[in-house]
Amino acid sequence: MLKFVNISKSYGRIEVLHNINFEVREGRITALIGANGAGKSTLMKILSGSVLDHSGAIELDGRTLRFNSVRDAVNAGVSIVHQELNIIPDLTVGENLFLGREPLTKLGLIDYKKLNGEASNILAEFDFPFSPDTKAGKLGVGWQQVLEIARALAVESKIIILDEPTSALSSSEIKILFDKMNRLKEKGIIIFFITHRLQEVFEAADDVVVLRDGCFISEYIVQNAEREVLINDMIGKAISPVRKREPIYSNENILKLDKVTVYKQNKAILHSISFEIKPGEIFGLSGLMGSGKFELLKFIFGDSVDRWEGDLYLFGNKYNPSSASRSVKNKVFYLSSSRKDEGILPDQSILHNSSISALKEFSTNTIIDNKSESSAVLKMNEKLNIHFSSLFQEASTLSGGNQQKVLLGRALLINPKLLLLGEPTRGIDVGAKEEIYYQLRKISQNGISIIISSSDVNELLDNCGRVTVLSQGRQTGVFSTAETTSEEILRHSFKEVS
Amino acid sequence: MINLYHKYSDIVKPFFGVVLIFFACILLSPNTSSGTNIFLKIENLTNILRQISEIGIISIGMTVVIIAAGIDLSVGSILALAATITAFGLMDWRLGLIITILLALLAGGVSGFLSGVISAWGKMQSFIATLAMMTAARGFALFISNSNSRNIGFGINSAPDSFKIFTEQVLGIPFPIYIFVFTTLVFAVLISRTTFGRYIYAVGSNETAARLAGVRVKWVKVFTFVIAGFLSALAGIIHAAQLQQGNPNDGVGFELDAIAAVVIGGTSLMGGKGTIAGTFAGVLIIGLLSNILGLHGIQKDFQLMLKGGIIVLAVFIQGKEFSFLKR
Repeated sequence: MLKFVNISKSYGRIEVLHNINFEVREGRITALIGANGAGKSTLMKILSGSVLDHSGAIELDGRTLRFNSVRDAVNAGVSIVHQELNIIPDLTVGENLFLGREPLTKLGLIDYKKLNGEASNILAEFDFPFSPDTKAGKLGVGWQQVLEIARALAVESKIIILDEPTSALSSSEIKILFDKMNRLKEKGIIIFFITHRLQEVFEAADDVVVLRDGCFISEYIVQNAEREVLINDMIGKAISPVRKREPIYSNENILKLDKVTVYKQNKAILHSISFEIKPGEIFGLSGLMGSGKFELLKFIFGDSVDRWEGDLYLFGNKYNPSSASRSVKNKVFYLSSSRKDEGILPDQSILHNSSISALKEFSTNTIIDNKSESSAVLKMNEKLNIHFSSLFQEASTLSGGNQQKVLLGRALLINPKLLLLGEPTRGIDVGAKEEIYYQLRKISQNGISIIISSSDVNELLDNCGRVTVLSQGRQTGVFSTAETTSEEILRHSFKEVS
Repeated sequence: MINLYHKYSDIVKPFFGVVLIFFACILLSPNTSSGTNIFLKIENLTNILRQISEIGIISIGMTVVIIAAGIDLSVGSILALAATITAFGLMDWRLGLIITILLALLAGGVSGFLSGVISAWGKMQSFIATLAMMTAARGFALFISNSNSRNIGFGINSAPDSFKIFTEQVLGIPFPIYIFVFTTLVFAVLISRTTFGRYIYAVGSNETAARLAGVRVKWVKVFTFVIAGFLSALAGIIHAAQLQQGNPNDGVGFELDAIAAVVIGGTSLMGGKGTIAGTFAGVLIIGLLSNILGLHGIQKDFQLMLKGGIIVLAVFIQGKEFSFLKR
């Protein structure tokens, strides 16, 4: 019996887990579900020793587990299989399985006979169809996932955590995985299974635990659980006040998508998406991780797409979003959800970060007029209420909120007509969040259209006129925020589409 | 004042080094029998500048490439190719001065263009793409010269006298120095005052962010290699004029000398940081040190060992903050 007793975890002053109490039993698969940010991953990271300094205790058969590192946890028999695979493709299956604890010969070389022999024994339990000397890169993702699990097991685990193991798998691969999970539980191992898909809970799990906003909400035996109840538990009875704002109706379209299907590496990642954006409208894209909401933004901007079908109209004309520079020229601007990796130019000044996309406006014959450049940037920074000490300060020294505003300023300096924003408030404190949305509403009043993709449903409801929901690359609905609730949006986010 | 320091700190540090080493050279210089400081003699000082002109011009191009987070290993080979083309153009192909020079510069530009396209569109690291160009350009130089160096002579049926401009003095200063200083000024402006300069820094700083900001990253990269190739060829023409020959085997190891000068000048090999002025200072530092060692008759072997130490020391100092420079 594994017991979580009063588990709380804070980062600084922000508490992300609040007094979590529940218990799970050996030989059962426990699904852990909840919306983004519910605390599933944090809780499992505490259990597997990668998040430290929590309060409360974890007890296994009455003994308290307390880890100071991942290695501690592994030695105590807790293994975690992360969402991203850690298989090294150039090594063989056997080498991957024994990575870091290879059996050695007397001379100190790797004893391949022993390694491959033991690997065969371990893998036989999984009906593994490849020989241990196959290169791991040749395996499908499903079998790689199985290999990861086998690796986790090879160290005599008592507890195995699978963090969204199915997100990269095809349905046949998922079957293989579930089959192996069932065999494991017969050995009396505790299995945690984090997932976003309710259907999988019913297929694979024995028990289900629901977390919401860092709190334990409920635990059910899956046989007795009802789908609707689980959804209600996940999203809560969110009281979303009725919004008075009516969507703007105008005949003019800034952007129109008509049955757009987008492929990446010959796999459709977005299916038959249709919607239109009006001038000055703030439009929301909602969906879980992997729903395709970021891919949709990137597609409209024209960055990294292999192939697409359907019709796309920009300002009423057919448009092929083929490159980022072309879109910027057409007054479409995109701000990525990963501000640090894809937004800020780290060792460049605030000035250079702000003006990079609008340099043509400040230059004649490519020579930059420093005066008009810095006065325009200063004016923009004042308008957006950016706190900085010097225009020559490196942008990476600013706080997250101010960095985001610098990027917003970069976008506004090109006089955009359409802004595509991925998680514009991620990692930003509450005050700055409010300010960013205040600025966005102001911008939209000047006729600039904005598409916001966010995992925070309430944020979308508060600021958008309409919201479309994506699930597994498909549109599950378009809602006017005046007439919908966060419950309805989330319900559609969890909708299974085949 | 602090703002000014922030804006110019990258430049101040290398020039501080130049001044320091300059005074050290004066102190360490041997005197003539009449008691004058040999180092400070005008002939010696212009000699230093003349000697660093070639590597200086190459280093300017290298700086541009490195700021965009690339590297160009082919500069020495392109120098040899351009020198060879210059000698054969003047002596054997009878192209005349202007056409010969244009042809040599074109060869450099095209080489850089190819490296750039291979690296940008072929998604190959510039280290590899220019390593290939380093080999191929050398091969091409050997091919057109039949593996022989070609001497440049003057007179009837030989090179036109106008080619001598590259070795002559104008107002008491050797002509290559004008070319070096002019190149430095042009590229200092290009990199700090033009839109293209900003794009180079942006690409070197964060390629993805630059692309999403609308910068045409691939073309920017290609252009940096064209500049490096072009300037290497320019140095190659000067090289041919100084030695009065085109040797396809010359310029070996120049890429490393150029990279050393760029790094001493405070440019980061990670890209996004650096100045032309810094490189100018870096080239001067190397030139001054070689000169003072030469004046003392210290042999090449010891000079090289010392140079290795200087590179490490200079880069070490670059990483430090100097509080006394701030105010």
